Formats: sequence, C-alpha cells, structure tokens
Amino acid sequence: MRLIKKLLLILLVVLVGIQFIPTKRNQNQQISESDISKTFTLPAEIQTIFKNSCYDCHSNNTNYPWYNKIKPVSWLLENHIKKGKKELNFSEFGSYSKRKQKNKLKSIKNQVIDDEMPMFTYTLIHKKAKLTESDKKLIKNWAVRLMDSIK
Amino acid sequence: MKKTIYVLVLSALFLTACKNDKKQTEPSSGNKQSKEMNIKEADGHDHGDHDHDATMGENSSKEKRNIDATTQKNNATSTIIDSYLQIKNALVNDNKDEAAKGGNMMLTAFSNFDMSKLSETQHKEYMEIIEDAKEQAEHIIKSPIDHQREHFENLSVDINDLISLLGTSKTLYQNKCPMAGEGKGAIWLSEYKEIKNPFFGSKMIKCGSVQKQIN
Repeated sequence: MRLIKKLLLILLVVLVGIQFIPTKRNQNQQISESDISKTFTLPAEIQTIFKNSCYDCHSNNTNYPWYNKIKPVSWLLENHIKKGKKELNFSEFGSYSKRKQKNKLKSIKNQVIDDEMPMFTYTLIHKKAKLTESDKKLIKNWAVRLMDSIK
Repeated sequence: MKKTIYVLVLSALFLTACKNDKKQTEPSSGNKQSKEMNIKEADGHDHGDHDHDATMGENSSKEKRNIDATTQKNNATSTIIDSYLQIKNALVNDNKDEAAKGGNMMLTAFSNFDMSKLSETQHKEYMEIIEDAKEQAEHIIKSPIDHQREHFENLSVDINDLISLLGTSKTLYQNKCPMAGEGKGAIWLSEYKEIKNPFFGSKMIKCGSVQKQIN
C-alpha cells in the first residue's frame, strides 16, 4: 500500500514537472512570403475551407484547442503537427518546386475525395472541420484547375 | 516523509524551469540547418547572380525534357533505374511487398548517388527531381497497393525526367497507358518491349503502347 502511494506521488511529481517544459508553438504572426495565398490567388471559399479544416496541421499557424495546454497531450499534438507539415505545408507551398506543387495538389484532391483527410480523429473533435460534399467538389475542381495551370 | 516529498516536487519544478531558459536562448537546430544550406547555396552560385541562375534553371528544365536521351550514356543512374524497375515489376504482378522493397532500394540508391559529377544546372534540377522521387518512394514503402500505384505515376515522371537530364546506359521503353492518370494518361518505363501494365496490373495487363525507345 505504501509503495502504491509512493508511486502515485512520483507520477504526480512527474506530471506537474513536465508542465514546465516549454513546447515550441506552431504559431506565427506574419503570413510567410512562400504562403500559398501569396503564390496563387485562392478563391475565398477555398481559403475558408483550408482555414477550418487543414491549416491546424498543414501550415505554420495552428489554432490550438484548450487541451493543448496540458502535457503530455500537447506533445502528441506537436508531433502530429510536425508530421503533417512535413507532408504538406501551405505556408511553404510557394517555395516547393513545380513538380512538387503539382503532385501535392493531386494528393490533396485524392485524399479529400477518398475521405482520408481531414483525419477522422481530428474531425471527431473539430466538428467544423468536416468537409461537406460541396466542399470536396470545390477543392477537387480548384486543385485540378491549378494543377493544369502549373507548367 | 511528507516534507521530503514537497522538497522533491519543488526541486523538480526548479530543475525543469532552469532547463527552459537554456533551451530558449539556444538557436533551434532548424535555424542552424537553414544557415548551412544558405552557405552551401552561396558557394554553388558564386559565379553568377543567384536570381538569374534560378530563372535559367526553370527554362532549361523545360528544354531538357525535349532532349533525346538516346545520346547520353550514363552508368551512374543504373541503380536508381534498377530500383524503379523493381517497383514497376512488383506492381505489374500486383505485389505490394515487393514494391515496398523497391521503394527502399530506391532510397538507398539515391543516398549512394555521387552528385559531385553534376554540373551546377544539373545539380539544381537533380535535387528537385530526387526530392520528389524520394517522397514518392517513401509513400510506396508504407502504402496499400492503390496508393502505391498513384505514387508510381508521379515517380515515373520523375525517373523519366532524371533520364532526360543525366542519361542512362540501359535500353528502356517509355510506354503510355491512356486510362491511367484519371483518364489523362500516364507514362511508365520498362526494360522490355512487351506491354505489361503496372498501373492496373492483372486487371488490365495489356493496356498501353510503346511511345519511344531509349538507347
């Protein structure tokens, strides 16, 4: 019994302790020069969809939920964002090679149509991020048009 | 007993708090890396104006695609092409695991490639091609077969461009399947003339035609 008490206390100490380790937040005041909106003219509706459903993990600006203040949850999120940005970062889209831009647009379109993005675990918490059928169609048409225009 | 626990908690807090300050004053490793990259870039371009070089690269990449690769013999690209053909043949046989193996082979081939023999303009385009090709290979390693095929479409364009850029000593056939690429058509490369379709595998093994012979 004493041992369990001790272990629980140690756990508490650790939990309190890790709250003091800073996490670098994925937030930037300025829109970067290589942002997709500076490289291409994005239709307003596309921009809104991206903001609500994609930018949390695919840009340099995350709109953090309240539970991000608690570790180790925030570490999980941070890791998740890191992976998302490696795959596709709208804040750096303009600096991608044309080859990469085209392939990314193709993947955006396919992932959205196949309901693979936004991820189920994300839309579970962010109800607003769920894409409607008309959202998906808008993204598809936009991506195809832009893909064809990049030579 | 209680007292010692409080002491422990407090000291733990202080320790982590001290760590914080240190971390914030250190420059992040990401910055360091980008600095190194800048230096490298500056070295590479010291014979001319940077912007000028960049635009030249874009123009020349378009032209290069039209150059007939039959004139350039190059052994250096062989292992990269071998890994590509491994993926291709695996997809022809509907074999996901063998395709993933090919993806790994390709990553190794890229990391073993000797870039020191590339000219400045070649280097720039080579980097763009392999950055993309690596990503396609990574996805081929971890994806189900329909995704592997999607990425193989992109990869085929990359490898075709790589051959236009650097050449090959292999005899290859550039084939086109009009039904792949969502009906827009897509190309692939093969080491034999007979059509065996990697985009559809056994479902449509004969779909496609030879467009051009390389070497």
